[in-house]
Amino acid sequence: MNKLHNVYAAALTLFACSAAAHELTPTYPEIRPSYINGVSVTTMQMWNRRSDALYYEVNVFDSEWNPIPFATPNRILYMGYLSHISFDIYIRDNDINKISYICTTSKQLKEDVISTGIKSKICSRIK
Amino acid sequence: MFKQILTIGAISTMSTIALAAETPIVGNVSSKCSIFTDTPGVYGNPTPDELSTLPADGGVYPVIRYDVSIADYYTAKISWPNSFSTAPSLTDSVTWDGEVEVSNTSDAGMSGYEAAKTEYENHTEYELTVAGSTWFKITSEAVYGVDKSLPGGEYKANVVAECIAD
Repeated sequence: MNKLHNVYAAALTLFACSAAAHELTPTYPEIRPSYINGVSVTTMQMWNRRSDALYYEVNVFDSEWNPIPFATPNRILYMGYLSHISFDIYIRDNDINKISYICTTSKQLKEDVISTGIKSKICSRIK
Repeated sequence: MFKQILTIGAISTMSTIALAAETPIVGNVSSKCSIFTDTPGVYGNPTPDELSTLPADGGVYPVIRYDVSIADYYTAKISWPNSFSTAPSLTDSVTWDGEVEVSNTSDAGMSGYEAAKTEYENHTEYELTVAGSTWFKITSEAVYGVDKSLPGGEYKANVVAECIAD
Protein backbone atom coordinates (compact mmCIF):
# COMPACT_ATOMS: atom_id res chain seq x y z
CA MET A 1 0.00 0.00 0.00
CA ASN A 2 2.88 2.34 0.95
CA LYS A 3 4.56 1.53 -2.37
CA LEU A 4 1.40 2.55 -4.19
CA HIS A 5 1.31 5.84 -2.26
CA ASN A 6 4.95 6.51 -3.18
CA VAL A 7 4.25 5.87 -6.87
CA TYR A 8 1.20 8.14 -6.69
CA ALA A 9 3.21 10.90 -4.97
CA ALA A 10 6.01 10.63 -7.54
CA ALA A 11 3.51 10.78 -10.38
CA LEU A 12 1.87 13.86 -8.88
CA THR A 13 5.27 15.55 -8.42
CA LEU A 14 6.25 14.86 -12.02
CA PHE A 15 2.86 16.10 -13.17
CA ALA A 16 3.21 19.30 -11.13
CA CYS A 17 6.78 19.93 -12.36
CA SER A 18 5.75 19.71 -15.99
CA ALA A 19 3.10 22.41 -15.58
CA ALA A 20 3.53 25.97 -16.74
CA ALA A 21 1.36 28.89 -15.70
CA HIS A 22 0.31 32.42 -16.49
CA GLU A 23 -0.84 34.73 -13.66
CA LEU A 24 -2.21 38.27 -13.53
CA THR A 25 -3.00 40.18 -10.34
CA PRO A 26 -4.76 42.02 -8.76
CA THR A 27 -8.16 40.53 -9.55
CA TYR A 28 -9.84 43.88 -8.93
CA PRO A 29 -7.35 46.67 -9.75
CA GLU A 30 -7.88 50.14 -8.35
CA ILE A 31 -7.61 53.19 -10.59
CA ARG A 32 -5.86 56.22 -9.14
CA PRO A 33 -5.02 59.69 -10.51
CA SER A 34 -1.75 59.85 -12.46
CA TYR A 35 0.75 62.70 -12.74
CA ILE A 36 -0.86 63.67 -16.09
CA ASN A 37 -3.91 65.90 -15.98
CA GLY A 38 -7.07 64.06 -17.19
CA VAL A 39 -5.40 60.64 -17.13
CA SER A 40 -5.65 57.91 -14.47
CA VAL A 41 -3.44 54.92 -13.88
CA THR A 42 -3.56 51.42 -12.47
CA THR A 43 -0.72 49.00 -11.80
CA MET A 44 -0.83 45.30 -12.70
CA GLN A 45 1.53 42.45 -11.89
CA MET A 46 2.27 39.42 -14.01
CA TRP A 47 4.19 36.23 -13.43
CA ASN A 48 5.19 34.04 -16.37
CA ARG A 49 5.71 30.40 -15.52
CA ARG A 50 5.14 29.28 -19.12
CA SER A 51 8.40 28.29 -20.75
CA ASP A 52 6.56 27.98 -24.10
CA ALA A 53 5.22 31.58 -24.10
CA LEU A 54 7.50 34.59 -23.69
CA TYR A 55 5.26 37.33 -25.08
CA TYR A 56 2.00 38.66 -23.63
CA GLU A 57 -0.39 41.22 -25.10
CA VAL A 58 -2.17 43.76 -22.88
CA ASN A 59 -5.75 44.82 -23.69
CA VAL A 60 -8.48 46.87 -22.03
CA PHE A 61 -12.19 46.22 -22.72
CA ASP A 62 -15.63 47.53 -21.75
CA SER A 63 -18.42 45.25 -20.47
CA GLU A 64 -19.31 44.23 -24.06
CA TRP A 65 -15.68 43.35 -24.86
CA ASN A 66 -15.17 46.39 -27.07
CA PRO A 67 -11.59 47.70 -26.88
CA ILE A 68 -10.96 50.86 -24.85
CA PRO A 69 -8.01 53.15 -25.69
CA PHE A 70 -5.17 53.01 -23.18
CA ALA A 71 -1.44 53.58 -22.95
CA THR A 72 1.24 51.40 -21.44
CA PRO A 73 5.01 51.33 -21.99
CA ASN A 74 4.76 48.06 -23.96
CA ARG A 75 1.57 46.57 -25.35
CA ILE A 76 3.44 43.38 -26.07
CA LEU A 77 5.38 42.40 -22.97
CA TYR A 78 8.46 40.27 -23.29
CA MET A 79 8.61 38.08 -20.21
CA GLY A 80 11.35 35.57 -19.61
CA TYR A 81 10.43 32.22 -18.09
CA LEU A 82 9.75 32.62 -14.33
CA SER A 83 10.00 36.40 -14.50
CA HIS A 84 7.74 38.88 -12.70
CA ILE A 85 6.73 42.20 -14.17
CA SER A 86 4.81 45.19 -12.86
CA PHE A 87 3.35 47.59 -15.41
CA ASP A 88 1.19 50.72 -15.42
CA ILE A 89 -1.87 51.21 -17.61
CA TYR A 90 -2.92 54.79 -18.31
CA ILE A 91 -6.56 55.50 -19.11
CA ARG A 92 -8.32 58.75 -19.95
CA ASP A 93 -10.57 59.97 -17.14
CA ASN A 94 -13.46 60.08 -19.67
CA ASP A 95 -13.13 56.30 -20.18
CA ILE A 96 -12.89 55.26 -16.53
CA ASN A 97 -16.59 54.48 -16.19
CA LYS A 98 -16.55 52.36 -19.37
CA ILE A 99 -13.71 50.03 -18.42
CA SER A 100 -14.60 46.51 -17.27
CA TYR A 101 -11.64 44.26 -18.03
CA ILE A 102 -7.86 44.44 -18.21
CA CYS A 103 -6.49 41.31 -19.88
CA THR A 104 -3.17 39.75 -20.80
CA THR A 105 -3.04 37.10 -23.54
CA SER A 106 -0.14 34.81 -24.30
CA LYS A 107 1.43 35.12 -27.76
CA GLN A 108 3.32 32.04 -28.85
CA LEU A 109 5.91 31.93 -31.57
CA LYS A 110 5.10 29.53 -34.39
CA GLU A 111 8.07 27.33 -33.59
CA ASP A 112 7.04 27.03 -29.91
CA VAL A 113 3.70 25.35 -30.74
CA ILE A 114 3.94 21.57 -31.06
CA SER A 115 0.59 20.58 -32.58
CA THR A 116 -2.20 22.18 -30.56
CA GLY A 117 -1.00 25.32 -28.81
CA ILE A 118 -2.67 26.75 -25.72
CA LYS A 119 -3.39 30.46 -25.70
CA SER A 120 -3.97 31.63 -22.11
CA LYS A 121 -5.86 34.81 -21.32
CA ILE A 122 -6.46 36.21 -17.82
CA CYS A 123 -8.74 39.18 -17.23
CA SER A 124 -8.96 41.33 -14.11
CA ARG A 125 -12.14 43.28 -13.49
CA ILE A 126 -12.61 46.96 -12.73
CA LYS A 127 -15.50 47.34 -10.29
CA MET B 1 36.69 43.66 35.18
CA PHE B 2 34.35 40.81 36.19
CA LYS B 3 31.47 43.31 36.52
CA GLN B 4 32.17 44.66 33.03
CA ILE B 5 32.09 41.17 31.52
CA LEU B 6 28.84 40.44 33.34
CA THR B 7 27.27 43.67 32.03
CA ILE B 8 28.35 43.02 28.42
CA GLY B 9 27.06 39.42 28.67
CA ALA B 10 23.72 40.59 30.01
CA ILE B 11 23.32 43.16 27.21
CA SER B 12 24.17 40.56 24.56
CA THR B 13 21.62 38.12 26.00
CA MET B 14 18.93 40.81 26.07
CA SER B 15 19.59 41.87 22.49
CA THR B 16 19.42 38.22 21.32
CA ILE B 17 16.09 37.80 23.10
CA ALA B 18 14.83 41.02 21.53
CA LEU B 19 15.85 39.86 18.05
CA ALA B 20 14.23 36.47 18.53
CA ALA B 21 10.99 38.07 19.63
CA GLU B 22 10.79 40.35 16.58
CA THR B 23 10.67 37.90 13.68
CA PRO B 24 7.12 38.04 12.41
CA ILE B 25 5.96 36.02 9.43
CA VAL B 26 3.16 37.72 7.59
CA GLY B 27 1.06 36.07 4.91
CA ASN B 28 -1.80 37.21 2.72
CA VAL B 29 -3.98 35.17 0.39
CA SER B 30 -5.68 37.26 -2.25
CA SER B 31 -7.92 36.13 -5.09
CA LYS B 32 -5.88 34.85 -7.99
CA CYS B 33 -6.34 32.68 -11.08
CA SER B 34 -3.51 30.75 -12.71
CA ILE B 35 -3.77 28.90 -16.01
CA PHE B 36 -1.40 25.93 -16.29
CA THR B 37 -0.64 24.30 -19.62
CA ASP B 38 -0.24 20.76 -18.30
CA THR B 39 -0.21 18.83 -21.59
CA PRO B 40 0.14 20.33 -25.04
CA GLY B 41 -2.09 18.35 -27.37
CA VAL B 42 -1.10 16.44 -30.46
CA TYR B 43 -3.23 15.71 -33.52
CA GLY B 44 -3.49 12.14 -34.72
CA ASN B 45 -4.34 11.42 -38.35
CA PRO B 46 -6.70 8.40 -38.23
CA THR B 47 -7.96 8.82 -41.80
CA PRO B 48 -6.48 10.84 -44.71
CA ASP B 49 -9.11 13.57 -44.30
CA GLU B 50 -9.15 13.88 -40.49
CA LEU B 51 -7.07 15.25 -37.63
CA SER B 52 -8.10 14.43 -34.06
CA THR B 53 -6.76 14.73 -30.51
CA LEU B 54 -8.67 11.59 -29.41
CA PRO B 55 -6.22 8.95 -28.11
CA ALA B 56 -8.18 6.32 -30.09
CA ASP B 57 -7.24 8.29 -33.23
CA GLY B 58 -3.57 8.48 -32.27
CA GLY B 59 -3.82 11.94 -30.75
CA VAL B 60 -3.14 13.42 -27.31
CA TYR B 61 -5.68 15.55 -25.45
CA PRO B 62 -4.46 19.05 -24.53
CA VAL B 63 -4.94 19.38 -20.74
CA ILE B 64 -5.27 22.74 -18.99
CA ARG B 65 -5.33 23.27 -15.24
CA TYR B 66 -7.00 26.23 -13.56
CA ASP B 67 -6.00 27.16 -10.00
CA VAL B 68 -8.13 29.61 -8.07
CA SER B 69 -7.13 30.67 -4.57
CA ILE B 70 -10.57 31.89 -3.49
CA ALA B 71 -13.99 30.59 -4.63
CA ASP B 72 -16.53 32.53 -6.70
CA TYR B 73 -14.13 35.12 -8.14
CA TYR B 74 -13.52 33.75 -11.66
CA THR B 75 -15.16 32.15 -14.70
CA ALA B 76 -13.18 29.74 -16.87
CA LYS B 77 -13.88 30.03 -20.60
CA ILE B 78 -12.23 27.45 -22.85
CA SER B 79 -12.56 27.46 -26.64
CA TRP B 80 -11.65 24.56 -28.90
CA PRO B 81 -9.98 25.53 -32.20
CA ASN B 82 -12.04 26.50 -35.25
CA SER B 83 -9.14 27.34 -37.55
CA PHE B 84 -5.53 26.30 -38.10
CA SER B 85 -2.78 28.68 -37.01
CA THR B 86 -0.36 26.82 -39.30
CA ALA B 87 -1.34 24.64 -42.26
CA PRO B 88 -0.43 24.02 -45.89
CA SER B 89 -2.55 25.76 -48.50
CA LEU B 90 -6.09 24.30 -48.30
CA THR B 91 -8.45 24.51 -51.25
CA ASP B 92 -11.55 23.08 -49.55
CA SER B 93 -13.40 23.84 -46.30
CA VAL B 94 -12.58 22.28 -42.93
CA THR B 95 -15.35 21.14 -40.58
CA TRP B 96 -14.40 21.65 -36.94
CA ASP B 97 -15.79 19.95 -33.86
CA GLY B 98 -14.69 19.79 -30.26
CA GLU B 99 -15.56 19.21 -26.64
CA VAL B 100 -14.27 20.51 -23.31
CA GLU B 101 -14.62 18.28 -20.24
CA VAL B 102 -13.50 18.33 -16.62
CA SER B 103 -10.91 15.56 -16.36
CA ASN B 104 -9.81 15.89 -12.74
CA THR B 105 -10.46 18.02 -9.65
CA SER B 106 -8.71 18.71 -6.36
CA ASP B 107 -11.95 19.04 -4.39
CA ALA B 108 -15.07 16.87 -4.28
CA GLY B 109 -17.15 20.07 -4.32
CA MET B 110 -16.18 20.56 -7.97
CA SER B 111 -18.12 17.45 -9.05
CA GLY B 112 -20.99 19.61 -10.26
CA TYR B 113 -18.86 21.66 -12.68
CA GLU B 114 -19.50 19.40 -15.68
CA ALA B 115 -23.30 19.44 -15.29
CA ALA B 116 -23.36 23.21 -14.77
CA LYS B 117 -21.18 24.16 -17.75
CA THR B 118 -22.48 26.47 -20.47
CA GLU B 119 -21.67 25.67 -24.12
CA TYR B 120 -22.09 27.94 -27.13
CA GLU B 121 -20.36 27.96 -30.51
CA ASN B 122 -16.85 26.63 -29.79
CA HIS B 123 -16.80 28.02 -26.22
CA THR B 124 -17.46 26.32 -22.87
CA GLU B 125 -17.80 28.27 -19.62
CA TYR B 126 -17.43 27.04 -16.05
CA GLU B 127 -18.12 29.08 -12.91
CA LEU B 128 -15.19 28.37 -10.58
CA THR B 129 -17.24 28.18 -7.39
CA VAL B 130 -14.76 26.14 -5.33
CA ALA B 131 -11.15 27.07 -4.48
CA GLY B 132 -8.53 24.67 -5.77
CA SER B 133 -7.37 23.05 -9.01
CA THR B 134 -9.48 21.84 -11.93
CA TRP B 135 -8.12 20.00 -14.96
CA PHE B 136 -9.88 20.28 -18.32
CA LYS B 137 -9.24 18.10 -21.36
CA ILE B 138 -10.08 19.32 -24.84
CA THR B 139 -11.11 17.23 -27.81
CA SER B 140 -10.54 18.79 -31.21
CA GLU B 141 -11.42 17.28 -34.60
CA ALA B 142 -10.92 18.71 -38.07
CA VAL B 143 -12.38 17.01 -41.16
CA TYR B 144 -11.33 18.23 -44.59
CA GLY B 145 -13.70 18.61 -47.53
CA VAL B 146 -15.78 15.61 -48.60
CA ASP B 147 -13.61 12.48 -48.66
CA LYS B 148 -10.58 14.55 -49.62
CA SER B 149 -7.11 13.88 -48.29
CA LEU B 150 -5.46 16.63 -46.25
CA PRO B 151 -2.38 17.97 -48.07
CA GLY B 152 0.89 16.85 -46.52
CA GLY B 153 2.55 19.32 -44.16
CA GLU B 154 2.46 20.73 -40.68
CA TYR B 155 -0.87 21.49 -38.95
CA LYS B 156 -1.21 23.55 -35.78
CA ALA B 157 -4.23 24.99 -33.98
CA ASN B 158 -4.76 26.89 -30.74
CA VAL B 159 -6.98 26.16 -27.75
CA VAL B 160 -7.89 29.40 -25.96
CA ALA B 161 -8.09 29.22 -22.14
CA GLU B 162 -9.48 32.32 -20.45
CA CYS B 163 -9.93 33.14 -16.78
CA ILE B 164 -12.22 36.13 -16.35
CA ALA B 165 -12.82 37.89 -13.05
CA ASP B 166 -16.56 38.01 -12.14
